[in-house]
Amino acid sequence: MIKLSLIGMLRRSLVHRRARSLSALIAMTVSAGVATALLTLYADLDAKLHKEFRSFGANIVITAPATAPLQTDALAKVKQAAGSDALAAEFAYAVATTDQGTPVVVGGTDFAAVKRLNSWWQVDAWPQGQDEALLGQRAAGFVTDKKLVRLTFAGHPITLQGAGHLRTGGDEDSRIYMPLATFTGWTGVAPTVIELQVPGGTATVEATISRLKQDLPEMQVQPVRQLVEGESKIVDRTHALMYGAVLLIALTVAVSVLATLSASVLERRRDFALMKALGGSQMQLMGMFLLEALVLAIAGVVVGFFAGSAAAWAISEGNFHTATLPHLSVLPLVLILNLAIAAMAALFPVRVLRGLQPAALLKGE
Amino acid sequence: MFFRLLMESFRRQRRRKMLAGVAILLGTTAVTAMLALATTIGDRIHKELAVYGANIVVYPKTDLLDVKIGGVDVKPATGGSYLKTSDLAKLKDIFWANNITGISPELPLQIDGTTPSGELLSASGIGLWFDHALSSDPGSIKTGAPQLHPWWKLQGAWPKQPANEASDSDAVLGAALAAKLNLKIGDRLPITLPPANGITPGTPRSYALRVTGIVSTGDNTDKQILLPLSTAQTIAGLPDAVRRVEVSARTKPEDAFARVDPDSLPAKQREIWYCRPYANSIAYQIREAIPGAQAEQVRRVEQSEGNVLARISGLMWLISAAALLAAGFAVSAAMATAILERRGEIGLMRSLGASKGAIALLFYAETGILAVLAGVFGYLLGSGLAAWLGARIFAGDGGSPEAVLIPVLLPVVVALALIVAIGGSTPSIRSALRMDPSAILRADA
Repeated sequence: MIKLSLIGMLRRSLVHRRARSLSALIAMTVSAGVATALLTLYADLDAKLHKEFRSFGANIVITAPATAPLQTDALAKVKQAAGSDALAAEFAYAVATTDQGTPVVVGGTDFAAVKRLNSWWQVDAWPQGQDEALLGQRAAGFVTDKKLVRLTFAGHPITLQGAGHLRTGGDEDSRIYMPLATFTGWTGVAPTVIELQVPGGTATVEATISRLKQDLPEMQVQPVRQLVEGESKIVDRTHALMYGAVLLIALTVAVSVLATLSASVLERRRDFALMKALGGSQMQLMGMFLLEALVLAIAGVVVGFFAGSAAAWAISEGNFHTATLPHLSVLPLVLILNLAIAAMAALFPVRVLRGLQPAALLKGE
Repeated sequence: MFFRLLMESFRRQRRRKMLAGVAILLGTTAVTAMLALATTIGDRIHKELAVYGANIVVYPKTDLLDVKIGGVDVKPATGGSYLKTSDLAKLKDIFWANNITGISPELPLQIDGTTPSGELLSASGIGLWFDHALSSDPGSIKTGAPQLHPWWKLQGAWPKQPANEASDSDAVLGAALAAKLNLKIGDRLPITLPPANGITPGTPRSYALRVTGIVSTGDNTDKQILLPLSTAQTIAGLPDAVRRVEVSARTKPEDAFARVDPDSLPAKQREIWYCRPYANSIAYQIREAIPGAQAEQVRRVEQSEGNVLARISGLMWLISAAALLAAGFAVSAAMATAILERRGEIGLMRSLGASKGAIALLFYAETGILAVLAGVFGYLLGSGLAAWLGARIFAGDGGSPEAVLIPVLLPVVVALALIVAIGGSTPSIRSALRMDPSAILRADA
């Protein structure tokens, strides 16, 4: 007589009822996959959303005191204090007159930095050379020749080539911008303002501000309050919404898996009765069902983790245009979730079956 | 006979029906809730984004250039041109008037006076609406600067609109100014009227401001005195004058079509452009409505808002798709299980002479009834859940809790439940029908 090992029984039980095992496996895979995808997205959500909010531009403004301009190394210090993924640009301002005699604010800045920092500036052509200027759309109405812009500052004239027009709907519309080196060479005015963009919510911004205040005590550091507050609010709301969605979907999948698996156990009342009649103890039988469910759950997690990571990648690539890499950190949670569902699915019907008499079951009642 | 079989099946096999029914119920609940949230998320997030303030500014076309650095007027324009307060009521007659949610006119002015401690006061002031009805209609919107600047933090109360003949008025001080001059709520500030004011007849000779509040704004307004617009007009001697108007409007995120110049379009296309709530079209309509006005969208707010909005609602739609997929799998797995369990029944019916078609019809009818019942309940449950979630998450913005019962979703959700349930049970029914009845019966005996 062949001795039946536990492994043998398990293998038989899984292989013999292939359709049933497969449907249970699919259920477990779907639950693991959905959990992985949602948790991976959830883990990355804040970073992704904060990245979207970068398009609002600077959220911290650093201003030099009225008595002295910024120190030459101020920008480097700010960048160092704010971290590597912050964007910063310095600005110098002066009031000049156009060839029509209208006073106009002229600004000197680094166009490459501004282009990245203030992506909401609508510019038809960015200045390339050192003697090219960017005309605010309202300011452009007050110069005679938009291609050859003549300005005067304290008696010093300068002639710049107008590269393009700038439209923002804000104060920038009434200004003329030029490269910082040209500006300083012409007016002798050094930069006084640094606009800084730190990705992150209120806490990050406040931490950066206190660091900046420590490193640059003489300067005035202020958050752009509506941006910082609004960003935190919206990220929090989206976060909560996502949390609700994750719970809801997890619940749906869990209950369906529970239904599928427990049906599969209930259907085998006969096997249960036979084993009991042959002398299996309650514990052994429960162990048997449990083991079977757990094997399916683990297989489901393995397949589901890959499928779920792929889904998360596709979703964030499609929506945020940046990839989300698989997070190994979600794996334990997914595993625990799936094992818990499987254990519940296996144990719930066993409790129902406990009271049944093997003889009655085998007779077919 | 067919109906009796159907009825008995529901009556006798309650546990099995429950299992499949609960799976469908939960699946449709999740899908309905997610779809309901995804369709309303745009409006909700848009309301949240209102914290960024106005998205359209209106100023006089012939205005001089602003000479402002860091929000400070370096050379305050003397003279210049102004818009008329009385023209603002025309904003409620434009095509997209209902999309305009807030209007805040501004009139900057210089205020000189003395503080209670005898110090000379020289500060810039700004005339604003605080809670002003746009027209005398009872239904007209009440709007003003606090609504458009939700990040302003007020201590005390906003000024009340003064009676016309009053020689004093309420005012709110910027936090920095109040700290510098050591002023507090309840102080009275006598102010001197500029000489230019003598021209306007009927204006009081002396004027006093009563401090009713102190506001912290985080920008240059912290150093200013905020007055009711009519007071500012009286003090500055510029009746009916407004320097700049901020408008907050519900808009559609900008796309390529929004950016074209409407005057270059053929009449028909122009009409379409005009009738879409783009910030550009609303600005265009404001220019038409108010003579001598130039309206521009505030790009910092408008451009980025559309971006964020698109990302968040895109995310919600994708999550809804994931929910749909998961629910679909779950329901079809549950249905397959339900049918597999009943192979014995199928064998018995076959051996009693039922045709394959009749059996399939019976099972499909059962599935269909189950799907429709559970689908309708799931729809109701999901709508309730979406309303609850939405109210919990987006509570406290002054927005009324909207009902999220979207009728269009009902047929969609029920049809989906039907398709998924029937699709999920088809393979099991087919395989059960293909088997030899005697083999099934023997295996089950």
